[in-house]
Amino acid sequence: MLSKGVAAALALLPLISWAGEYNLTVDRVTIDTGEFRKQGIGYNGASPGPILRFREGEDVTIHVTNNLDEPTSVHWHGLVLPFQMDGVPGLSYPGIAPGETFTYRFPIKQAGTYWFHSHSGFQEPDGAYGAIVIEPQGREPFRYDREYVVQLTDKHPHSGDRVMRNLKTSADYYNRQQQTVGDFWRDSRERGLAATLKDRLMWGDMRMMASDTEDVQGFTGLINGKGPEQNWTGLFQPGERVRLRLINSSAMTYFDVRLPGLKMTVVQADGNNVQPVTVDELRIGVAETYDVIVQPKEDRAYTVFAESMGRSGFARGTLAPREGMQGEIPELRPAPLLTMADMGMAHAGMDHGDMASMDHGSMNQGDMADMDHGSMNHGDMAGMDHSNMNHGEVAVLPADPFYAQGSGLIPQAYNDGRFLSYADLRAQKPLYEDREPTREIELRLTGNMERYIWSINGIKESDAEPIRLQYGERVRFKFVNETMMTHPMHLHGMWSILDVGADQWNPVKHVVSVAPGTTVYMETEVDAPGKWAFHCHLAYHAAAGMFRTVIVEGGPEGGDS
Amino acid sequence: MQRTLNGLAAAMLLGAASPAGAAISEGGQPGDPQQVSRTIDIVMYDNYFEPEQLTFAAGETVRLKVRNEGALVHEFNIGTAAMHEAHQGQMQMMVDHGVIQGDHLNHERMKMDMGGGHTMEHSHANSLLLEPGQEAELVWTFASADSLEFACNVPGHYQAGMVGGIHVE
Repeated sequence: MLSKGVAAALALLPLISWAGEYNLTVDRVTIDTGEFRKQGIGYNGASPGPILRFREGEDVTIHVTNNLDEPTSVHWHGLVLPFQMDGVPGLSYPGIAPGETFTYRFPIKQAGTYWFHSHSGFQEPDGAYGAIVIEPQGREPFRYDREYVVQLTDKHPHSGDRVMRNLKTSADYYNRQQQTVGDFWRDSRERGLAATLKDRLMWGDMRMMASDTEDVQGFTGLINGKGPEQNWTGLFQPGERVRLRLINSSAMTYFDVRLPGLKMTVVQADGNNVQPVTVDELRIGVAETYDVIVQPKEDRAYTVFAESMGRSGFARGTLAPREGMQGEIPELRPAPLLTMADMGMAHAGMDHGDMASMDHGSMNQGDMADMDHGSMNHGDMAGMDHSNMNHGEVAVLPADPFYAQGSGLIPQAYNDGRFLSYADLRAQKPLYEDREPTREIELRLTGNMERYIWSINGIKESDAEPIRLQYGERVRFKFVNETMMTHPMHLHGMWSILDVGADQWNPVKHVVSVAPGTTVYMETEVDAPGKWAFHCHLAYHAAAGMFRTVIVEGGPEGGDS
Repeated sequence: MQRTLNGLAAAMLLGAASPAGAAISEGGQPGDPQQVSRTIDIVMYDNYFEPEQLTFAAGETVRLKVRNEGALVHEFNIGTAAMHEAHQGQMQMMVDHGVIQGDHLNHERMKMDMGGGHTMEHSHANSLLLEPGQEAELVWTFASADSLEFACNVPGHYQAGMVGGIHVE
């Protein structure tokens, strides 16, 4: 017990250290999306779990009690901490056995929006996730009147184990957008029989389909655990600045997020401040976070609309001046179709007939980040991109250097306005001094769609050697995506400095999304000893083998604990 | 690239050449240094002002000493919300053309002829565009008009909250 005098004196100390204690239980819960109910896993009796609110500089103690009849784990996604506290069974620790309590203790050395989730089996897709909000020590480089966590997920009626079994049996089990015989005859009428036949044979040779954008469809999009009909609602007073902490906790789904009638000013990406950029729409990859500020000025409801990248589903919520109000729910836009560009074909200009025998690995998309955007010629694109013509869109597409030229996935804002690109992101304040990397490591993102094997450099995790890094080096990772899926690559424990060609202003992230047919670079200051996970954050891709163990050798003895 | 120069956007630059006429009548006007009643220090950080609220007597002439203590380029601009919004289009152009490059200004590109003798030089009577570490001042006479704001219209900064209120009594 502190006397009033002592408490007042303590309050005056500028560097008072906080020590918060938190409790989480891991429980069997019922999840109700409004469209279906299922048994799942949650924290403190609910899915999603609670929002954990920490302060920068705080020493946290978190007791996690496992009430399941199977082992569990909690990973603090995006937090910089000693590897023993990172929550990956087999790397950080053995995990948490049924009935046991594990106590995490680590200092909070950062601020921003993050999340936590189980790193065991498919507990995360089954509901074991929650949000983390860390208040900064100093003033933030932006201002707002109120804030909401907007945590997205793709809730599937099947359990994660069942989804994986079905994918292993038939990789297109959940692909409902397969092209039909009807599509074939329609394309034949529009483009001629020979061209259509050739196109179909080409895709057949690749063991892929142009509609393979989302390999797990049939989900219901949730915002903070609420389905579209349950309509999560955040209140505002007209004129207020509202900070939305967007978190994509999906197992598999990228979302295109917009609030029709409002512009979003992006102020944080993956918890790190970025120089503010105002957009109409943004794509949030799996496991990414974006903090945006919106300023609704009218006394009406605004819909928060998150369409899946493959347009097979959506999440919906509302910002409104009063409870019970609803905005208009937009129609889903047509599903994108992948193009040859998404298979790394765009730059080759070769005879398509030869494609099946081509070595995709040898194709280099060039150094995109250093590309002069102004000199990019899009005049050729419409002619190249046959699939897009199905939607009657022959218009010149905006070039986002983080998609293959002519890609069917290049996003366009709903109102033809500005769509956020990675190329728009600039660190608000550089976290590290810029320096030359000490070496480059190439990671080819590879897979066999038919057998649902996903791998790195053609080797799945169970057959792979760990990646060994030396403490103190700065490694440049080169991702070459040789698949036609988009992979959100997540390195634990150390920051991913995404190369957007801005040197010391390159944004600092924890997930780097790599679109099909592209090469993307990121650099990492190797400043955290220990064993870390490095994987595609699509739950079923990681489980299928697109995963690497990273061992950081040297540095402070036995890790940073 | 969608974010390129087009005719309409180029026309907006006209504002830069003729020092924002509307701005002066609505927000007040450049003041006579002899009439200055006081000097007010305003510091620009990333991305906010200190202080964030200013109060003047109607007709008062003040010297506004503005210093950029941030690591990025910032603007100090007096106007109504609508004027700021209009000016943000011009500022976006300056970014698109590499005039404003995050932490510095490209003075060469600023002088680039955009056609019709117009350049992207940022010479408005009601504003200052400062690189990190720079300091400058404005002498301004505030009219009785209310709903005035001082703002930074570097793209995204206003929306992120780099705007303060001006109350004219």
